[in-house]
Amino acid sequence: MTKTILIPIDFNPESLNTLKLALKENSISEVDIILMYSEYLTDSITELLFYSADRIIQSHITPDFEETISILKNRYETGIKSIKIELFHGYNINSFKNFIKAKQIDTIYIPKKYTLKLKKNGFNPIPFIKKSGVPVQEIEWDSNFFNS
Amino acid sequence: MKTQYKIALFLIVANTLMLIIFGGSVYYFLYNYSYTDFYKRLGTRASITAKYNFDTNNKNAESIKIIREQHLEKLSNEKEHISLINSFNDLKLFAEKSSLPLSFIKEIYINEKGNLQIENTFYSGTKYKAGNKVYLVIISAENYYATHHLALLKNIIIVGLFFIIFITISLSFYFSKHIFDPIRNITDKVKKISTDNIHLRLEESEKDNEISQLILTFNNLFNRLETAFETQKNFISNASHEFGTPLTSIIGEADVALMKERTPKEYQETLQSILSQAERLNQISQSLLFLAQTGYRENRLNFEIIRTDEIIWQAKEIIDKLIPKNKIQIDFSLLPENPFKLKVSGNKQLLTLAFVNVLTNACKYSNNKTVFVSIASSNHQVIIEIKDQGIGIPESELQFIYDPFFRASNTHQFEGYGIGLPLTRNIIKIHNGQLLVSSVVNKGTSVQIKIPLIQYNENRMKF
Repeated sequence: MTKTILIPIDFNPESLNTLKLALKENSISEVDIILMYSEYLTDSITELLFYSADRIIQSHITPDFEETISILKNRYETGIKSIKIELFHGYNINSFKNFIKAKQIDTIYIPKKYTLKLKKNGFNPIPFIKKSGVPVQEIEWDSNFFNS
Repeated sequence: MKTQYKIALFLIVANTLMLIIFGGSVYYFLYNYSYTDFYKRLGTRASITAKYNFDTNNKNAESIKIIREQHLEKLSNEKEHISLINSFNDLKLFAEKSSLPLSFIKEIYINEKGNLQIENTFYSGTKYKAGNKVYLVIISAENYYATHHLALLKNIIIVGLFFIIFITISLSFYFSKHIFDPIRNITDKVKKISTDNIHLRLEESEKDNEISQLILTFNNLFNRLETAFETQKNFISNASHEFGTPLTSIIGEADVALMKERTPKEYQETLQSILSQAERLNQISQSLLFLAQTGYRENRLNFEIIRTDEIIWQAKEIIDKLIPKNKIQIDFSLLPENPFKLKVSGNKQLLTLAFVNVLTNACKYSNNKTVFVSIASSNHQVIIEIKDQGIGIPESELQFIYDPFFRASNTHQFEGYGIGLPLTRNIIKIHNGQLLVSSVVNKGTSVQIKIPLIQYNENRMKF
């Protein structure tokens, strides 16, 4: 059975610990992974005119982050069906519910202690996630635990 | 010849040449134009004159004459020479009368047209046939335009040329002098830096141009030079210290033993101690030799396809024999499922040696606290991280850790002679890998070793 899971990220390799531990827990079934970065949309019309999700993601992504993803992909090669990075631009809980519905998310994994280190325009989606009505699992890890 | 003068000369020659070509061509084309134009005007006048003088239709001739007088401007010194030509003799007479060369008159007679210039006077003649009579009409005038306007133009061009050349010369010299100012500054400053004050640097400017890049390059070069200098200084002092300590103790032991008669047991003890010190010396010189050999990057090394996890296990087995009390934990939680993602091309002995070195360091400097080893692989490389909870390396000394014989200031209580890490780095370099060390004093050190995977490595070698 394929499951779709959502994990909030901040483009820091550390935030992928959630993914790592979620995969550990989930090693039986195949998963589609959606890494979600939440960011307020710009107000500028010209910027909106040339809006490109890919470009925004490219501007945030770091080689370290990419490498960490590829490490996890190699580690759970059979378990991972796909990994996608998605942007969430909504302002309220309803838009988040729509997002969840559109992506057909089964479970959301969030870090328990780690707070997302947000960049400019980014916002913390955890409150939305907790109110979304989808099963949420909190994951805890030692801060000194992850490598690369 | 200085580059400065070369540039100036080039600018001057190029500019002067362009100016001369420009001025010359302006003058030349205008000169040509004024002459052909003037001959045309004379020719027109000649044929009109012929027309109204000899046209059989009198009325017509009269009107042409009126038009000519009313509309054609009188040229300066305009003269008409008209003659009826019946025979060759008439040509001669006409030539004498008008004091023109006979060849010109012949030319008109044969070609029906002719132009001639004598000094400032221009002649244009035409042959006119009225019935069976043949007339020659020659109009002469002075070309006022050519004599006055062209002369003025010539003067203007020549004066302008000299003026502009003068400006070009001064500008060329100014530019060629000042364009090299920043470079001359750099030269002056670099000259001041010698082995005594190699810590001095050039001032870096904010602008991103070629000069600031040059300055940056110089500063980087100085950084490397300074490090090399430091390395050499450290090497000599550390090497003499490392070799000196065992030698001193050998000499001391032998001296004491020879002071008086000893029991055989005492001699044995002394010899034993001397032997262990000599072994230590031998070990140092051997590892130095090894370091020098791996530093060459020779291709003679035997490279095979090896699995990095196997290497780590082997290294751990060796450590288990050397330091039985070690607590090395190997974490395979990030091990890739696909074993191909662990295979690298390398020399088994060397890689094992590299890992043994790092692991012994980790165990030694943490007094056998737990050492975490984790292994993971991305799409391009295998990443091995070795984390200890030892004494760490002071941040200011991190840049020297790859120098042979260098030992951090907080390592006095530990035995060692500072060859392990440089050797490891040489080995990793041979494998096209990276060795990254980060450390916090009294918290621990983490060493990351990255070795490219086979496919990746092959691709890279191809290009």
